[in-house]
Amino acid sequence: MELARRGAEKEDAGQVTRLGLWGFRTRRLWTTFAAVAFSLFVLVPFTWVIFTSVKSQKELSHNPLGVPMDWQWGNFAEAWTRGHFDRYFLNSILVAIPTVALVLVCSTLAAYAFSLMEFRGKNVLFIIFLVGLTIPLSILIIPLFYELLSLGLLNTYWALVLPQVAKTLPFGILLLRSFMEDFPTEILDAARIDGCSTWGLLYRVVVPLSAPALTSLLVFTFMWTWNQFVLPVVLIQDDAMRTLPVGLNFFQGRFVTDIPLMMAGAIISFLPIVLMYVFFQRQFIKGITAGAFK
Amino acid sequence: MQASRQKATREVSWRDSAPAYLFIAPAFILYALFFLWPLLHLVQLSTVKWKGVGPKVFVGLKNYLHILTSDPKFWLAFEHNVIWLFAAVVVPIVIGMFLAVLLARTPMHGRLLFRTIYFLPQVLSSVVVAVIWRGMYNPNYGAINSILRGIGLDFLARGWLGDRALVLPALFIAWSWIHYGFCMVIFIAALQSIDEVYFDAAKVDGANALQQTWYVALPFIRGPLATVILLTAIAAFQVFDLVFIITKGGPAGASLVLSVHMYDNAFRYDKVGQGAALAVFLGALISVLSIIFLRVRRRLEAD
Repeated sequence: MELARRGAEKEDAGQVTRLGLWGFRTRRLWTTFAAVAFSLFVLVPFTWVIFTSVKSQKELSHNPLGVPMDWQWGNFAEAWTRGHFDRYFLNSILVAIPTVALVLVCSTLAAYAFSLMEFRGKNVLFIIFLVGLTIPLSILIIPLFYELLSLGLLNTYWALVLPQVAKTLPFGILLLRSFMEDFPTEILDAARIDGCSTWGLLYRVVVPLSAPALTSLLVFTFMWTWNQFVLPVVLIQDDAMRTLPVGLNFFQGRFVTDIPLMMAGAIISFLPIVLMYVFFQRQFIKGITAGAFK
Repeated sequence: MQASRQKATREVSWRDSAPAYLFIAPAFILYALFFLWPLLHLVQLSTVKWKGVGPKVFVGLKNYLHILTSDPKFWLAFEHNVIWLFAAVVVPIVIGMFLAVLLARTPMHGRLLFRTIYFLPQVLSSVVVAVIWRGMYNPNYGAINSILRGIGLDFLARGWLGDRALVLPALFIAWSWIHYGFCMVIFIAALQSIDEVYFDAAKVDGANALQQTWYVALPFIRGPLATVILLTAIAAFQVFDLVFIITKGGPAGASLVLSVHMYDNAFRYDKVGQGAALAVFLGALISVLSIIFLRVRRRLEAD
């Protein structure tokens, strides 16, 4: 992003020389206006959701668009308790934590072997992992259902954690491997000469150096797990085990006419991920670009 | 050098390979149990007649044959998928390119703020997007109808999701709302990697932003453009969440897509074998798209 800003400043300076300060300012005004106009495409739905979430049902029927006149913050409390969002929220967290942990640990170990060790069948194994990149979980949901049924894991957190980990591993391994391959060999050699064991090398050198890629992977795994829909909708039937997305979907069916309460529920389920996005924006953008270019 | 290194890899003995296998084992075991095994199991299920309980009857390729020849809903869903695919490689990509040029190649206030806003829908779960757009389309309280009524266009207000002709475009707009941010981010990165010198030459000749993009930038970003087109195509072909959540394929099949038809067969009509055959069919198409993608990209990189 640093680079982006520098490029942009250079671009701006060039435009000023060419158009003159007045011309540059006029053009900037127009393009900013275009940017604002398009942002309404995002901001109007969001504002509508936020406004609706604090209206009473009665107010919504005669004031569907405007600023709420009587802010009903109680909608959130009601969604939280009567809508079971307290439970859904807890479930989402209890699924996300082990998923993220397993993906980070297993991808780091495997990526280390694929990038810095020599062994038989390296290429074949890597290609086998690549298969998992494009096949979506929705295609595997039928066999996964019967497999987890026979393992007795339906309606448990494991039903959501294990397939999610398996699906995310190929991405994690690919991302970390391409990162580790770019390590300067001098650092690794120096550590080996200093008597670092394989584990020491991994723990003291590779993991700290991979911190940016690991952060990207953490952010993505968290987002995918948090937003996962196909797995819980098929593998979870017990309301007490539902995560936020399926909880919200179920809620939609149960309180179909109570639109404000539904919007409050939607806000509760997207708030953590939106906050995470705002704080880790750079990792989100980097991970998306890296994932597409590798 | 490259060749001798590869040869060295092949000559590593099994014994020297053991530590590497230990490192890969945790990932491989999880991946094998919960990805590879279900994949094989899926192919097996596609060759049986089974209601989900009781004995499985082996029927060979009959499930596939049935889908292709005597399941009218399959062709309906397939048609919707193809329409969706063609719309998807145009709409979000054009929007994404426009925004990328706007943010990366024109003078502007608050670039970062706008990028943050534009990318926001990409991080939301499909259910949240579904709730938002269901609200937007709601015939009584929805924002779209309210706006139309507010500006005196009452006759345009309608039940968007209940209209057979409009339901698919309405769902597609919600899907594009999520997806254009992905295209935009890739295009921004691609545009920023081009050396400014090439643009300067065009500017001297008086080219505007659009002409600069078309004549100067496009030849440079063919690789990323191919990537975005194919990843979007793959994402479009497997569309499930939004359609399943908002309409379940309705009204009367007007928005049915293959993945929802697969779900219905397996979990609603108790035709597990046919559902599995549909899944294999979808997976095969996605794999074909991915292979084309890799080929095209390799050729573009070689240029």
